[in-house]
Amino acid sequence: MWKYLLEKEFKQFFRDPGLPRMALAFPVLMMLVFPFAVSMDIRNINLAAVDNCMSEESSRLIEKCTSSGYFRLVYHGQSADEAMRLMDNNKADAIITIMPGFDRETVSGSGFPVGIKVNTVNGTKGSLGSQYILQCVRSYVGEKNAASGTTVPPAADISEKYYFNPGMDYKLFMIPALIVIAITMITAFLPALNIVSEKEAGTIEQINVTPVSKTAFIACKMIPYWAIAFFILTACLIIAWAVFGYTSRGSVLWLYLFTILDIIVMAGLGLLISNYSSNAQQAMFVIWFFAVIFMLMSGIFTPIASMPQWAQYITYLNPMRYFADAMRAVYLKGSTPAELWYDVAGLAALGSVMVGAAVASYRKTE
Amino acid sequence: MNTEYAIRIRNLVKKFGDFTAVDNISFDVRRGEIFGFLGANGAGKTTAMRILCGLSRPTSGSGTVAGFDICREQEKIKKNIGYMSQKFSLYPDLTVRENIRLFGGIYGLKDRTIREKTEKMLEMLGIRDAGDRFAAELPLGWKQKLSFCIALIHSPQIIFLDEPTGGVDPETRRRFWESIYDTAGNGTTVFVTTHYMDEAEYCDRVSIMVDGRIDAMDSPAGLKKKFSAGNMDEVFRTVAGRAVREE
Repeated sequence: MWKYLLEKEFKQFFRDPGLPRMALAFPVLMMLVFPFAVSMDIRNINLAAVDNCMSEESSRLIEKCTSSGYFRLVYHGQSADEAMRLMDNNKADAIITIMPGFDRETVSGSGFPVGIKVNTVNGTKGSLGSQYILQCVRSYVGEKNAASGTTVPPAADISEKYYFNPGMDYKLFMIPALIVIAITMITAFLPALNIVSEKEAGTIEQINVTPVSKTAFIACKMIPYWAIAFFILTACLIIAWAVFGYTSRGSVLWLYLFTILDIIVMAGLGLLISNYSSNAQQAMFVIWFFAVIFMLMSGIFTPIASMPQWAQYITYLNPMRYFADAMRAVYLKGSTPAELWYDVAGLAALGSVMVGAAVASYRKTE
Repeated sequence: MNTEYAIRIRNLVKKFGDFTAVDNISFDVRRGEIFGFLGANGAGKTTAMRILCGLSRPTSGSGTVAGFDICREQEKIKKNIGYMSQKFSLYPDLTVRENIRLFGGIYGLKDRTIREKTEKMLEMLGIRDAGDRFAAELPLGWKQKLSFCIALIHSPQIIFLDEPTGGVDPETRRRFWESIYDTAGNGTTVFVTTHYMDEAEYCDRVSIMVDGRIDAMDSPAGLKKKFSAGNMDEVFRTVAGRAVREE
């Protein structure tokens, strides 16, 4: 019985005018466009410099900032009010204030009178902006030390060391996450829409009146999407290697393993939703609702650890949390499922609940 | 298992909220009989038929179809019946052959049996050359014949036909009824709903549903005598005219 049902699903997939093309275009788009678009590497921060010193030293510091490429100098003068006005009008994202004694004190090493104000309406821009200014100041101080031999007190004594992604390369960080998004979306939407369209066409009734087993019917709806997800994963990995030169640090096998687990969860959810939806719009909307929540609470864009405690509890129910964590750990760190037992357990638990519920709620007799 | 009756139904009720779609109906259908299930739109025919096919659960009442309980053994019933719905519900994006193969496979036929049956069916339908056309492209009359053949692919004891000839010309209808006769001649019980009163004349017995109840049930000749009517059309109008329920 399985053979005939699978044959049907695959034939229908390849005969669909849009689906095969979509499955092909999706990974390409995901890998070639989004790593650039979703970069958190912020550029063009508008900087206002209140220079109360107006010396050679202060100009050099400002130039240090602008030459970094991150800042665009929108004001350079002595009026703190003018700089504040610019920030109020959203024309400046950050203000660096250089105190009158800047040149003397830096040279003598007695202090480092610089103030930084940032506009945190756009939180990311603000916090990264202040860090970039600090980096510029630090590098300026470093150069001074090297040049003069004097010891200027460092602005902040932070020693940073980035493991696993030494250049803090945002693209590398996002690639496993984008694979996660691509696979999750495809495997949740397509099986659900497939079932709902059978409901709309009435063909599901002809199936329901046969002695077909529920498990066989549901499984045969899911299996083609495993194949598609594997295709997408493979395509993404190849593009990441061919275009960006990235390869997975961990075994590719583990990436496939976690993908299987994720598909079980997502396809189960999609089928569950389709069992309760009477038309495609309903199903689309509900899945979209879940997809957005999953993405925002997955740790892909913002770290889960910085969410409030109650939100962190919710993420335990989010399959994407486990999948994204696992894919990043395998791809960037070379972790193995034994180390990621937590993610395996999370996905397996959610998967059995979803598939169980999908089979149970699919009714051949109303 | 009673061998005389294919279907025995007692006090069947189906409610949707406050609405009683099927209101306490009881009837028997003998083996090999062509049983016409008549009624105006909204009288509850399709609802009752869906319960008999195991697609829907009754609110109360009992009965057996092909010897299996309609409340508990729906999946066993499904093995022994064929069902052709009002709306064409084969896969439009599969070819005629592929549709036959799929349903043959679902009913557990062997590959070789399916191949043989497919050729026989195409021959019978007179559409040998259309075997590789998509089901969606077939004319309505062919679609109905194909659905009928597929509903019979596993040689069921009973076949349920829900308005099998809606929307086609009289000649096509007449030929469809010839196939129904052939099928009944082979011992298959035929349970058929229709709006066409000339078709009702072809049945061994008919029942007429009004507002969820069965208000009349007999052979066409018996009904005509009882209502002193010249044809089934008059019988139907007399009985169905009592309806108070809106469609």
